[in-house]
Amino acid sequence: MSILEYNGAAMIAMAGKDCVGIAADRRLGIQAQTVSTDFTKVFKMNDNIHVGLGGLATDVQTLHNVLKFRMGLYELREEREMTPQVFSHLLSTLLYEKRFGPYFVEPIVAGLDDKNKPFLSSMDLIGAPVQTKDFVVSGTCTGNLYGMCETLYKPDLEADALFETLAQALLASVDRDALSGWGGVVHIITKDGVTTRELKGRQD
Amino acid sequence: LTALDFVLLQLLQHTHINLYRSTMAPFRTHNQQQNSRNAAGGPGLAMMPPIIHSSEGPVMAKADTIDHGVTEAPYERGFSPYEFNGGTTLAIAGPDYAVVAADTRLSSGYEILSRDVSKLHALTDRCVLGSAGCKTDVDQLRSVLDIKQKIYHHNHRKQMSTPSVAQMLGNTLYYKRFFPYYAFNVLGGVDAEGKGAVYSYDAIGSFERTPFSATGSGQAYIIPLLDNVIGHKNRADEKRELPAEEVVEIVKDAFVTAGERDIYTGDSVEIMVITAEGIQTTTFDLKRD
Repeated sequence: MSILEYNGAAMIAMAGKDCVGIAADRRLGIQAQTVSTDFTKVFKMNDNIHVGLGGLATDVQTLHNVLKFRMGLYELREEREMTPQVFSHLLSTLLYEKRFGPYFVEPIVAGLDDKNKPFLSSMDLIGAPVQTKDFVVSGTCTGNLYGMCETLYKPDLEADALFETLAQALLASVDRDALSGWGGVVHIITKDGVTTRELKGRQD
Repeated sequence: LTALDFVLLQLLQHTHINLYRSTMAPFRTHNQQQNSRNAAGGPGLAMMPPIIHSSEGPVMAKADTIDHGVTEAPYERGFSPYEFNGGTTLAIAGPDYAVVAADTRLSSGYEILSRDVSKLHALTDRCVLGSAGCKTDVDQLRSVLDIKQKIYHHNHRKQMSTPSVAQMLGNTLYYKRFFPYYAFNVLGGVDAEGKGAVYSYDAIGSFERTPFSATGSGQAYIIPLLDNVIGHKNRADEKRELPAEEVVEIVKDAFVTAGERDIYTGDSVEIMVITAEGIQTTTFDLKRD
């Protein structure tokens, strides 16, 4: 039993045409027992950045608070909003500071940079970052998620098509994983704002 | 207490320590043990050469002999009879056809042994077995099934029907329940009524007739896709019957995906379409990286 599989999670972030989408499941479990069916794993950091934190739930919540704090400090000092590249780098450094006693979280960052171009990155639990142009995944069913995304992804999808792609990829993947599921939530971020939709899937 | 009793007591302690060492360090090899013995400058304080009880009375064995776990506590050498040779197989059942496909790469660790080895084997002209796992176990399993199939044909004057082959495979696998065939199987064919039939198995013979199945190293990448496209799960549009040609295109897409993300899947895919008329085989190239 891996500590990263204690609570269960599944999340995807995908890039479209001048938009990004990020989706996650809603389950919180303690190994086989489901404890909550509306646990938030994707957090809005500012109008341009969403972060998905998948892994041990206590670290998900702690890391979210630490990130909120650090973003607040940055905005006070710099008097400007953080860009996703800077946020991703901050998160990477934070995680590596705990190199020999890490946060058990494997995050994904999705946002629009200052030129409104999509930005995606993901990290392992000690902060090794990877930036991609198409999609990033994290959670207990990454095999399933990679398979679905690799097949369904097309470059330059519009916001509505991106939503459909994310929704189908997430639902099909979590339905074959015992530790994730119980519905989903999808955020589509464009320069005009964020649209959030809830997914009703198999409730098991 | 005589001097001999003292020596026997030492041996008891030494055996106990060795047993402890064996359980606590299961992956220590014989060489490591020899080296650690030498590192202590010959037999250390707690380590005494074993006593051999010969017909002339108890005698100390020579300190530099290899014991092979005979007089001292047994130790594990880390030998596994199994090896994973990689690959992915897939089978989909249609209304009057079945599609069975598998990649053709044979690997061992990070090495590619061959780019052109078939994982599919036609057991009858209406039924194909696809197997991934340990190649030698797969070959032996096919041999055994072929022989049983020939005997059946000889006794009953007809070929085995696909559900019968399915049952036979399940029984053959369970026969080796306590030293299994390391073979992940998928059986596809047309049943006695001409409808497509696919059976999925685990390594010890548990099986079930299913609408589709995928096994091997790339199964996690492919199964959710088949759930969505073939099983029509989580979809709002109307379910429609898929013709064999469209299913073959879906299979190609699935293998391209698995080939991208799984290191053991690639080189090319062998696709067999089975209908009441027979079996048609096509090949499709994949990335060779």
